[in-house]
Amino acid sequence: MTRFDIPGAVDRRTFLAFGGLAVAAAVIGPAGAAELYGPKPTGAKTGGTLNMGLLVEPPGLDPFHQAADARIRLTVLIYQGLFYESPDGTAMPLLAEGFDLSGDRLIYTVRLRKGVKFHTGQPMTAKDVAYSYNYIRNPKNGSPGAGDFAMITAVEAVDDATVRITISAPNAALPMTLGNKYGGVVPAGYFDDPEAKTKLNQASVGTGPFKLSEFKPNSNATLVRNPDYWEPGVPYLDRINFIFVPNAASLLVGLRNKRIDIATLARPQDVKQVEGVAGLTVERKPSFNQKAIDLGAELKPLDDERVRRAIALAVDKDEIMRASIGGLGNVIGTMVAGMQDSWGAPADKLANQKVDIAAAKKLLAEAGHPDGFDLTLTTIIGYDWMDAAGVILREQLGKIGIRLAIQRVELGVWVKNFQSKQMGFTFNDWATVPDPNLLFYRHFHKAPEGADFRNWKNDAASKLLDEGRVESDPAKRRDIYVRYQQVMAESVPTIMLFSADHVVVRGQKVQNYDQHPTGWYYGLARTWIS
Amino acid sequence: MGVYIAKRLAASAVTALLASIVVFLLVRSVPGDVVGQMLGQTSDPVAAKALREFFGLDQPVWRQYASWLGRVLAGDFGTSWTRGQPVMGMVGSALGVTIQLAAATLVLATAIGVPLGILAAIYEGRAPDRIVQAFNLLGLAAPVFWIGLMLLVGMSASFDWSPPLMYVPLHESVSENLSMIALPVLSLALLQAAAYSQFVRQSIVSALGQDYVRTAVAKGLSTRTVFFRHLLRNIGIPLVTFMGLILIQILGGAVIIESLFALPGLGRLLLSSIETRDYPVLQAGLLVVVVIAMLVNLVVDLSYRIIDPRVRLS
Repeated sequence: MTRFDIPGAVDRRTFLAFGGLAVAAAVIGPAGAAELYGPKPTGAKTGGTLNMGLLVEPPGLDPFHQAADARIRLTVLIYQGLFYESPDGTAMPLLAEGFDLSGDRLIYTVRLRKGVKFHTGQPMTAKDVAYSYNYIRNPKNGSPGAGDFAMITAVEAVDDATVRITISAPNAALPMTLGNKYGGVVPAGYFDDPEAKTKLNQASVGTGPFKLSEFKPNSNATLVRNPDYWEPGVPYLDRINFIFVPNAASLLVGLRNKRIDIATLARPQDVKQVEGVAGLTVERKPSFNQKAIDLGAELKPLDDERVRRAIALAVDKDEIMRASIGGLGNVIGTMVAGMQDSWGAPADKLANQKVDIAAAKKLLAEAGHPDGFDLTLTTIIGYDWMDAAGVILREQLGKIGIRLAIQRVELGVWVKNFQSKQMGFTFNDWATVPDPNLLFYRHFHKAPEGADFRNWKNDAASKLLDEGRVESDPAKRRDIYVRYQQVMAESVPTIMLFSADHVVVRGQKVQNYDQHPTGWYYGLARTWIS
Repeated sequence: MGVYIAKRLAASAVTALLASIVVFLLVRSVPGDVVGQMLGQTSDPVAAKALREFFGLDQPVWRQYASWLGRVLAGDFGTSWTRGQPVMGMVGSALGVTIQLAAATLVLATAIGVPLGILAAIYEGRAPDRIVQAFNLLGLAAPVFWIGLMLLVGMSASFDWSPPLMYVPLHESVSENLSMIALPVLSLALLQAAAYSQFVRQSIVSALGQDYVRTAVAKGLSTRTVFFRHLLRNIGIPLVTFMGLILIQILGGAVIIESLFALPGLGRLLLSSIETRDYPVLQAGLLVVVVIAMLVNLVVDLSYRIIDPRVRLS
């Protein structure tokens, strides 16, 4: 199934460098342990074909108009933005080399990497960078990234190797926004051709380590090594076949018989079948995704905060996680597991995290529902975990008198309800890139600045989100987001349940694949075959 | 004959036109559209509006239909909204896979089912009949995905072998292609062979009691002649009708087996296009299914005349 997420963030090291003072030349160097696309291998051999099995087929490969996570996972290998979303929350330079920030923190002067060529063979210049980002940020071009880029007021080429980006208000998340989720740098004027959008599915025009060789719907997408790639010696693989296998049984059989070299699995029953199989290695990695219960205030009585708190107090997250993903993840408070260390509020500082049936009943009685009420939970067809979780949730809420009916809807229907802010009481499944502003702002800030999908309309939370976006001192910024999370835990517009781990299954010949917490396949740029 | 075919084709064209209207309205009656799917949860209203205009979704439905029909009549089925490839090429190559699957299934099912049915009829009530009947019962009762899954898992467990998962057309590699479609064909054929053999058995058993068979036997014809010249010919018409039905059933119902064995056939293409609300692909694909169903029926009707010259086509 397709997943949707929110984009991400800024570099904490950069902030340390200029500490919110006047002009500061910030070069984001190699960030300690973090390396671009994952750890570099030793003794890697070049060559070979890797077959990766995908249970979810990307609906298209156009990074400018297609938001599906299944698309992003692949295209991060083909297209590149100015920065890379390092798992530790740093925006590492990718097509950028570094940047200078003006005293008012509104103008970013970005120096570009030299010697970068497009898959078409032509060299990349500042004009191409300006063109690409101006294309995305103009909503008339229909990019899902337009909303994230609304803060940008101008992108101009200063000279061949320098781009100037102007924003309307200080925003600590800008570099992370210039990552690889939407768009990427393509040759200037690419979209002048009316057929350009559709051509992206047949030939790639990015700068990434791999080029698109063929895309056959319902069969495979094949990438081949970009011989002109700017980073010397990489990638190692000659070819990657992403093979679309629409059911887990065939994928598991394929893994056993070496038709498939590597795959990521989500369902615990699938993982169990490959655990302990000779020749297969199973690895778990924490993720930036979250499985949540959303409480849309447009649905009475969820407009009453006491009712929402009562629901939170009745929910046993651990029980739901064990039932729905067999424990292959981490229970969370108000932050996705992969970002808990950098941005999460400590669990003991958050309200409504422990089950307390008596307190929940009391709150419901105060809200005028001493005998509970009828409520409908919406789940999405194809999201297996929701089916099991729904049954458990019904039992848990039954303890405080809430009679839960479960309605399964198709993803398209669900997205429509979500966008029109009619989500009601529903499970949600989404992910982020590693920055709190990009995680929270659009979802939870009041309209019109944010989308406020849950009709939360919370002034205190919106104010904190504004402060967090502007603040560039990392310690202060973290403090703001901790306070924001406390407001969120207290008022319960959403109940974040758990982050499911990324489970990677690989054959013995696959070396050095490191799964990025976003779930994107960056690691293949460092993978080799023995 | 020629006039008859022309008349039938003209009627088919009208049916196809009506079907295209139904299909057009039907795919649009499913909530959500391609733009919602493309932009996801966090879509920007301005971007959504721009994309809807790009795809023409802001136009009234009748106008969308008129412009689509105009292009189709000019031979242009457009471009897939999400895959960005020509619709004709996508539907064509998917159809090729499904036709190969259906044709191979039909041949295999006939090769297994007809002899079994004859065998059972000849030995009616005795051991061979009982065995065939048991096979028929199993084949008809077992869901096709279960047969497919058992074959897949069984082959893997017994021989450490499973079919390739990346489809290669027959003209590129015969061995690769055949090893990929062998199990899906076998899964479908086992089911259809059971239906076939049951049908053939019933037809023969009931024909054996008829006057023309008794007459043929009475005038001293050999059993072989009675069987092949008289009996088989008379059950030919229902048999061909049955084959046509099976063919349409396989073409329309291969989606499960295509998904199980990762075959890029028409059923799977339609399914994924429903998920992404890719209207151009859906409209063309469903229209192709309708046209094929009509053509198969026409061929079946024409073959009546060949099997039985008494049949007048009018």
